[in-house]
Amino acid sequence: MTPRQRIRASIDHQEPDKVPIDFGSSGITGMHCSVVEQLRDHYQLEKRPVTICEPYQMLGELEGDLLDAIGVDTQAIFSHGTIFGFANENWKPWTTPWGQEVLVAENFNTTEDDTGNVYIYPEGDTDAPASGHMPRTSFFFDSIERIDPDFDEDNLDLEDNLEEFGPMPDAEEDHWIDQIAKWRGCERAITVPLSGTCLGDIALVPAPFLKQPKGVRGIADWYMLIAEDPEFIARLFDRQVGIALANMTKLNAIAGDVIDVVVVCGTDFGTQNSLFCGVPQVRDIWLPRYKQINDWIHQNTNWRSFKHSCGAVEPLIETFIDCGFDILNPVQCSADGMEPEDLKAKYGHRIAFWGGGVNTQQTLPFGTPEDVRSEVLSRCEIFAPGGGFIFNSIHNVQARTPLENVVAMIDAVHEFNGDS
Amino acid sequence: MNELLDQLMVAIKAGKRKDARAATAAALEAGIDPQSVLDALTEGMNDVGKRFRANVIFVPEVLVAARAMQKSMDLLEPVLVASGIEPEFSIVIGTVEGDLHDIGKNLVMMMLKGANFKVIDLGVNVSAETFANAVAEHNPNLVALSALLTTTMPAMERIVSELSSLNSSIKIMVGGAPITQAFADQIGADGYSADAASAVELAQKLCA
Repeated sequence: MTPRQRIRASIDHQEPDKVPIDFGSSGITGMHCSVVEQLRDHYQLEKRPVTICEPYQMLGELEGDLLDAIGVDTQAIFSHGTIFGFANENWKPWTTPWGQEVLVAENFNTTEDDTGNVYIYPEGDTDAPASGHMPRTSFFFDSIERIDPDFDEDNLDLEDNLEEFGPMPDAEEDHWIDQIAKWRGCERAITVPLSGTCLGDIALVPAPFLKQPKGVRGIADWYMLIAEDPEFIARLFDRQVGIALANMTKLNAIAGDVIDVVVVCGTDFGTQNSLFCGVPQVRDIWLPRYKQINDWIHQNTNWRSFKHSCGAVEPLIETFIDCGFDILNPVQCSADGMEPEDLKAKYGHRIAFWGGGVNTQQTLPFGTPEDVRSEVLSRCEIFAPGGGFIFNSIHNVQARTPLENVVAMIDAVHEFNGDS
Repeated sequence: MNELLDQLMVAIKAGKRKDARAATAAALEAGIDPQSVLDALTEGMNDVGKRFRANVIFVPEVLVAARAMQKSMDLLEPVLVASGIEPEFSIVIGTVEGDLHDIGKNLVMMMLKGANFKVIDLGVNVSAETFANAVAEHNPNLVALSALLTTTMPAMERIVSELSSLNSSIKIMVGGAPITQAFADQIGADGYSADAASAVELAQKLCA
């Protein structure tokens, strides 16, 4: 089987020749740039700075030579714009606070305060208030909440929370045309993120890409709005879906036959031991709108639809299936109620598990290589039969993860697959 | 219970901030003693914590309840201070150095306030030195540390170690997505809780 066939078979619940592997297909299935550099060294690939494909989490691009070395079956095409509102293009060198030389986009503009904290700016405009902050001892950015001084929680305007949603810009359209020309014929399964289909991804609520965000931009404010005014949220999502469907139509016209998997949604519904919202509320607000998106995908394309949600989301998996999602990620088996055997038995023939391969909160960063091997083999044994499983760690491989554990993870999948 | 206090409790449980403020104002205006108003608040938040722990309500409902409590406290606090009524226990809380995540920490903080703890919030990205200074200044019963990232767990260990070496009697509780009881034991923390509601019970136990 080709990598693309392997991925597609598994998503469609046919057992492929071997467990397909993903690393780097999206901003939630990738690797921190420091890990990418170490892996390149491990596989003795050409020494060159890692390119930052996702600046918020400082994810490194897994280039073709590294994908080959790991045996990855996917190929990501990232969006033109980043979460900080600048385009990922025209690379320049940057030294990270931990001393790594990387390549960042030309408008990845930062400042540093006198204690070494790093600040990043929307659209690279250092005259605007910073929208991201990386503490001196950190390895990632996080959003800075910039609340409009005129914000009035008793007088919300729908348009304020729609500023970032609109027709696909020409530059984005050109980007897809270029990228599709580049990747047409690629043997790996092509994954792309959809734009505007998340419906309330909390990472996007503070709008780190906007210079002067208006409306509900505080994380707590957003959650409170869900409790206080679900009607407002529903109307907002209706508008977002309308815009997204028009953009998906355009993307389909440009790239429809090349794309295999679309990352529809990174909206987290789970905490470590519970949900962010009750099941009835998710079914009221999110289900009909996700279903609209997924129905369009299934009626108009051959894409498969990918839903990410961290946490203890077992009570929502039936709802995700009803929404029409084909794939669930990252399958956080360590969260309450997410035991892999139970998930496979109950849902494994109806939704594909993309992730679940190894715990990135405990085993991968803090276990021994043998702990990692053992967990990976166990997960493959549980999830692989009958297909419906794409191997990936549970969310991105984080900074400071020991290289020997990352290698043990990769080697264990190949061991399971009987690769030499 | 007094009808106004009943209204206050209902408003807290339902997260109705304007109702909570109005009921508090009316109760104080009616001359109800501030301790009784505080007890109604605490009882309302205790109910919120129980329902949160039982997965009957979720983060949004807890946040609106906590905001309603805060609106009430804005009016009540000066009256409590004037009456010489102070919380029995105090806690210094913060997200550890290198980590900017505070949803979980804030939920814990709100639930502790709801249980009538005096909470000194140091915010996010807090160094061992800042924690040590706050302990020296406020002499709290407890310190609570939060971390979301695996990369900041070593900072949590370092802060526990430094605070313990400065003050061997200080009690420290920890929490956050990647934190476990085993990790809490390993770094010498006095307690771990998996969620905001159980954090209150843990804090009460550690203070007893």
